[in-house]
Amino acid sequence: MIALSVAAALAIFVVYTALAGNGIADLTPSTLAGHAGDVSLVGKVVGNPQGNAAYHGGLHFQLKDIGRATPARVPVVYRGSMPDLFETGRDVVVEGTLRNGVFVAKPGSLITKCPDHYAPAKSSKT
Amino acid sequence: MAPLGRAALLLAFGLIAYALVAGSYAAWKRRRRLALSAQNALLAAFPATLIAAVVLLVALGRRDMTFVYVWQHTSHKLPLGYALSAFWGGQEGSLLLWLLVLTGYAGLAVWLNRRSRELMAWTVPVFGLVAAFFAFMLCFVSSPFNVQPAPGDGRGMVPSLQNPYMLAHPPLLYLGYVGLTVPFAFGMGALLSGRTDERWIVATRRWTLAAWMFLGVGQLIGAHWAYVEIGWGGYYAWDPVENAALMPWLAATAFLHSVMIQEKRGMLKVWNMILVALAFNLSLFGTFLTRSGVIDSIHSFAQSSIGGWFLGFLTLMVVLSVALIRWRLPLLRTKTRLESLVSREATFLYNNLLLVALALTILWGVLYPILSQAVRGEARSVSKPYYDFFLHTFGLPLLLLMGLGPLVAWRRASLRSLGKTFIVPFAAAIVTGVALLALGFGSSWPGLLAYTFGAFVVASIVLEFVRGRAAAGGMLRLIGRNRRRYGGYIVHAAVVLLAIGIAGSSAYQTQRERTLKPGGSIEAAGYTVRYLTSTGVRGPNYTGFRALLAVSGHGERFRLNPGINNYPIEGQSNVASIYHDPRSLGDVFTTAHLLNKRGTIDLKVLVKPLINLIWVAGFVFVAGSLIAMWPDAVEQRRLAARYAAGAAPAGI
Repeated sequence: MIALSVAAALAIFVVYTALAGNGIADLTPSTLAGHAGDVSLVGKVVGNPQGNAAYHGGLHFQLKDIGRATPARVPVVYRGSMPDLFETGRDVVVEGTLRNGVFVAKPGSLITKCPDHYAPAKSSKT
Repeated sequence: MAPLGRAALLLAFGLIAYALVAGSYAAWKRRRRLALSAQNALLAAFPATLIAAVVLLVALGRRDMTFVYVWQHTSHKLPLGYALSAFWGGQEGSLLLWLLVLTGYAGLAVWLNRRSRELMAWTVPVFGLVAAFFAFMLCFVSSPFNVQPAPGDGRGMVPSLQNPYMLAHPPLLYLGYVGLTVPFAFGMGALLSGRTDERWIVATRRWTLAAWMFLGVGQLIGAHWAYVEIGWGGYYAWDPVENAALMPWLAATAFLHSVMIQEKRGMLKVWNMILVALAFNLSLFGTFLTRSGVIDSIHSFAQSSIGGWFLGFLTLMVVLSVALIRWRLPLLRTKTRLESLVSREATFLYNNLLLVALALTILWGVLYPILSQAVRGEARSVSKPYYDFFLHTFGLPLLLLMGLGPLVAWRRASLRSLGKTFIVPFAAAIVTGVALLALGFGSSWPGLLAYTFGAFVVASIVLEFVRGRAAAGGMLRLIGRNRRRYGGYIVHAAVVLLAIGIAGSSAYQTQRERTLKPGGSIEAAGYTVRYLTSTGVRGPNYTGFRALLAVSGHGERFRLNPGINNYPIEGQSNVASIYHDPRSLGDVFTTAHLLNKRGTIDLKVLVKPLINLIWVAGFVFVAGSLIAMWPDAVEQRRLAARYAAGAAPAGI
């Protein structure tokens, strides 16, 4: 009986992962090249963000690798609601697709990482 | 001051190490006096840790910046309450809190059970092992008592943490996480001593319940904090750190249910051991997850060196628990078998499987980036659709089982009696489902199912209370006579409220977003939101803007003023403005961004029906848990009689 139920739960699980795919790739600016389709990109905001996320042109900013000696950079264009605490120097996560060297973000997918309980304040200023 | 703290920690470590080593030797060789001395050492570890904790609290209160820890997490301007809450604001302090709560719990649990010598013999060293790890870390790896020549002002606390919830959410989670050590230590102690009857379960029932309640409430408070503070309109994001607290809670929920089967029918002994080990190891895993930075989270924790230590200890504990259960398997075999697939026992079993399946699928999701990195060389992660799918597939049947379980008879239920019992709840569910469909709630099938099942559960709980009241002659007497049972039903009612709140605020949520000039308006779910104008605001450490909104609809008129605060150091922060509709228990949630000097804004309006039921559920949950926990004279007498009659040695 127990074995049967466990098997059933496992079967649901396997069917789901087979049908719905297996997640999206977590990439950084340096690993982004060559990836088609939806991916999730993590990086630090650099330079001065230009434009506005609420308008057609969208917000333009650059992301670089977090904590790498020779960081790669990638331009990002984003539309949709702005998350809390977004600014230059913050670590952010955004979903989207790389098109002609520009990362086109899914509307509303931008998330700023929480400067959390356990990070000393101002540690992001590196 | 710092040397005193360091000395107190060293003393605590020594006492705990003694409890571990001498306690193990005494239990092995059956030396009664040595066992007693090990037990006393464990009891003494609490005051020693308390001294260290007081030293740290005093240093935080005085903003003594010669303490590196105080300098890192506070500043002179920080209000006293938040300065003290920095105790759990950083890694070293959090470890100290773990040890303090653990030695406190262990001391009390051992003291209360000091007469059950055989049960305590191995329980003391198990407590010692867990506590020794944390004491070791505090003494030699990550000390809160490192000092430096007095520098200037400290680094302060992140503004989003300067919230009253900071005083409640982390300690409650710790009381929960650490509390799961108590049933674990008793369970492993029972395995080591070969006393595998249900005494360890009886002795720890309230401890498990308390830990489980703290963990549950801590999470709800965290969810509420995120909802009101962060301004994205949600309260749970399936983030690894959030999942880290949810998984042990689910495992503990399964454990609380399955121990009832062991108490009543002597079944599921192996399973209970597995569950208690799972719950404890998941709580360790949660601490590891938040400490190691091994998994990418939207909470960016400081990468720290203690991840490896935690991984080592976690591995040790998993291996030990598995080996112990494997070794004692012959003792855990039971003669009683499941008699029917339609019985109380069986519904408990289904409930357990679903809870554990849910916990394990979440664990899989959390570990997925590491696993795919290892197997395919590329980190991939699963997100909301994955978790939502499994929440629906395992959570909705769980909800239904809450209504079915209590009405099904023990051992074997006949279909005829089932038909009679279920006619009322079943009718209630059908009527609710049809009515909701007619009202247009068919737009979301998980939502519709959640409501229909919710009606079923509520009807079956009400039925139980009505029947019981007739027999007992009064509601209070009924609850008083069987606190565990009726406390449990009240917790079930809380879960229904939670499910209704979650379904309402997610499945039936309305979201509108638009760029507006002053004078413009948008409509959302029957509310008209008019944007009047924008104004500047100035706070003690920020400047910002507020959009003035006039909202009307559903017979109500109210004002909202969402906006942005700009902190010179921390950057900008959304300030959401929320209206709670007392009649519909829903919220109108707004955020706004200023786009230009002419006052054009980007306005987001979320109408979240029934979301306040989630917070109401928290109060009902605590009430039910407390009722189920309250000392029960009748139960005590029953147990005393049972063990006096010599039922205990039956398993050996």
